[in-house]
Amino acid sequence: MNNIIMERGLLLERGPVDGGVEKEEWMELLSGHHVGRAEMNKLIMNYLVTEGFKESAEKFRLESGIQPSIDLNELDDRIKIREEIQNGNIESAITMVNNLHPELLDNDRYLYFHLQQQHLIELIRDGRVEAALDYAQTHLAERGEENPSILSELERTLALLAFEEPEKSPFGDLLLLCQRQKVASELNAAILETDATPKLANLLKLLLWSQEELDKKKIRYPRMTDIATGTIEAPK
Amino acid sequence: MEIDDQGGWFDTLHSDEPEKWQDALLWLKNSVIGNNKQKQNAINHGIIPRLLQWLVDGDAPQHLRLEAAIIMGSMAKGTAENINTLVEEGCVSVLLKGLKSPDQAFVESCLRCLRTIFLHNSNCGSLIYQEPSIVEDLVEIMPRSVCTQECVANILASSCKEPEHQSKLCECGLIPKLVDLLAGKVYKVQMPVLKCLAGIVRENGENCVVALTAMHNNVPLPDMLVQLMLRDRTSEMQIVAAKVLAYLCGGGALAPQDPRIISKTLPCLIRMCSRDRTLEENVEGAETLAYLLEQDGELQRVAAVSDHIIKTLAEYLKYTDVQQINRCGKRIDINWGIEMKQAAFKAFAALGANEESIRKQVIETEHLMEYVVVGLNSGNMKVAAAAIRCLHSLSRSVQLLRTTIQDHGVWKPLMKIIQEGPEELLPVASSTLCNLLLEFSPSKECILDCGAISVLVNLAARPEPNLRLNGIWGLMNLTFQVEQKVKTKVVESIGTERLFRLLSDPDANIVMKTLGLLRNLLSNKLHIDHIMGMYGNQIMQAVVFILEGEHPIQVKEQTLCILANVADGDKAKDLIMGNEDMLKKLMNYMQYQPDVSLQIAAVACISNLIWSGEDGACARQAKLSEMGVQTLLQKLLSTTDTVLFEKVRTAVQQFS
Repeated sequence: MNNIIMERGLLLERGPVDGGVEKEEWMELLSGHHVGRAEMNKLIMNYLVTEGFKESAEKFRLESGIQPSIDLNELDDRIKIREEIQNGNIESAITMVNNLHPELLDNDRYLYFHLQQQHLIELIRDGRVEAALDYAQTHLAERGEENPSILSELERTLALLAFEEPEKSPFGDLLLLCQRQKVASELNAAILETDATPKLANLLKLLLWSQEELDKKKIRYPRMTDIATGTIEAPK
Repeated sequence: MEIDDQGGWFDTLHSDEPEKWQDALLWLKNSVIGNNKQKQNAINHGIIPRLLQWLVDGDAPQHLRLEAAIIMGSMAKGTAENINTLVEEGCVSVLLKGLKSPDQAFVESCLRCLRTIFLHNSNCGSLIYQEPSIVEDLVEIMPRSVCTQECVANILASSCKEPEHQSKLCECGLIPKLVDLLAGKVYKVQMPVLKCLAGIVRENGENCVVALTAMHNNVPLPDMLVQLMLRDRTSEMQIVAAKVLAYLCGGGALAPQDPRIISKTLPCLIRMCSRDRTLEENVEGAETLAYLLEQDGELQRVAAVSDHIIKTLAEYLKYTDVQQINRCGKRIDINWGIEMKQAAFKAFAALGANEESIRKQVIETEHLMEYVVVGLNSGNMKVAAAAIRCLHSLSRSVQLLRTTIQDHGVWKPLMKIIQEGPEELLPVASSTLCNLLLEFSPSKECILDCGAISVLVNLAARPEPNLRLNGIWGLMNLTFQVEQKVKTKVVESIGTERLFRLLSDPDANIVMKTLGLLRNLLSNKLHIDHIMGMYGNQIMQAVVFILEGEHPIQVKEQTLCILANVADGDKAKDLIMGNEDMLKKLMNYMQYQPDVSLQIAAVACISNLIWSGEDGACARQAKLSEMGVQTLLQKLLSTTDTVLFEKVRTAVQQFS
């Protein structure tokens, strides 16, 4: 993995600094680099294991011959927890976490707040206004006392209650299912402790950071404008 | 509402319905984790004693005991008051007993709770030593799993402040085990292991030796520590690794010139002081740097030219913010202004301890003296103590005394601290005062007006030898070339009885300084006659007392010098001339072998006695000649020592 990054780094150094690089030259340099299949597969396996996609990881192991870095059965617990969150059963997820990792939510109150906030969102989604207010008062007020910076997040969530159709309100994105995914990933990362970001994600971050640095120095180069598709555009 | 439900659960826990306990405990666990309010609520419902009952009862069902330990662990993650309650209710000893259980999960839960308590409550440090087997058990349990490693290392790191504790831990073979864990590369284990090592070797020479030679795979610990100080490590790891090495140096196990110290530890600590680090790292870095620099002048020299450290430390002085830090939901108010200033003062004090050139650089720091004075005047003992140390270092410099310190009137707050401040500051404050009283200090006048004499006299009467020494040393410095009325005042204040008692002090340094004081008092012809006129007999008695007693050579030499001064006074001469015994002693000392210093002093005395051109010189010369002094002097002309020869020749020339 490190090899890929190193090589890309060299790539940037080789180009002329003043004139910038044109797209053709850039694409030529890129195609001249060969990223080994094995390295790519390791990246993918790392992603699947970190994010807890056990079945996919199993299948991928059979297809690619890459061995996962951990015993895939350890993924079961994390998978169950993630499923509960993705199904909106937050309290059940919290109970599971407390059984498996009793110190986690005591140590990371911000994470606990996000879980509780998600529960609140679920209550609002179900239209259980009274229960939502009650929950907010009993459980979330304390979070605000401990950490005033979460108050604005809390306010946004509670504001949903003010709307007849909360999904159409300015904070409607909280009700989207990808919000559940966000919380699930946050919890997953906390359970995995160190280095919980898939290496793939780190690579992308590095790419974006490099582009930013080049932009700061006003260097002309072909930017990757769409990460999802890998689209590279010619410099203006 | 909720409260009724809660009440129900609590009742169940206290009730006699064992089949319901598991559910109730589960509810309780989920209620308190992450919720400080619920933790307090549970405490108010008397949960702690109830949990302790399960924990103490070895026959209780294991799953209940496990939940109880886990819940206890969560309670410890609450507020400081929660932790205090746990400690007061005796949880620590119950949990320590729990470590004997064969159930690994239970042991780990107990350890987690203990670890949290020990990390946040500083009163627990000695609890593991109450029974001899506890420490051994902990050390034995430690290697079992990542959890036990991390928890035990943290517990022990919080329990090694006292020398007895350090020794006990070392005796249990802890150090080699820690070294093995350090090599394990698990970050959350390495950090408490490093802290534990730091605690165990600090100021403990024996433990330092053990640590020095401890190895893993033939790599000695100091080399491992150097690896952990590399820049790709986190700052917190670098700084603790540096601390351990600094303590090994301070404990005498590593020489200051060892490349691991001077080329690795020192630069690392200096890095920690830079602006791009957190304030916590700045403070810890500067304090550890101060500790290290105190060990050696070479380190000070190298540090002073490293990375503009003096400028960097100067920036510390400008901090005024008070910051709140959120740690696990707890707010801690730390006054960074105070912390940074005191760290900077300590570092400056260490930097300027030996070299004048470094002191000059330090004092050129903008507004340094103003900050020092503010620090001295602040009610905060930490800052005042650090400011005094800084001032003490700077006061060793003559030039600085004359110029900068006087301009800032530091003596007033200094005197205030000596007179009204806490005991622990007295030694360094009084040493600083001594330095300020050196003759070439322009501060002297003002200090005298401030009652310096009585302060010093009081110090000279203290049972502590270091304070006594500072008292008498201060008086000695005070009386150098000073007016007669000051000399008189000094003698009156201290009293001849105290003065002469100091001459029989068990500490030779104190005797020397007392003699120095006498010598200063007895300088200048007029003063000599005046003082001998009042106290002549006692002084002569004291001289005899010392010459006849068992004393080191320097003490006797000083005494003879005093006698020589007495011999300079017009009227005072008679006190010696009239004392046959004294004259015989002088003649003996003129022939003293092998140390020539006593001969020189004795001859100087004789020289003054027979000085031609003074009233009564002839009579004195005649008498001494009769006793054989002139012959003796002639004999001494054959000496090979040049100083003695000069003195003898001068004396011989007096005989007309």
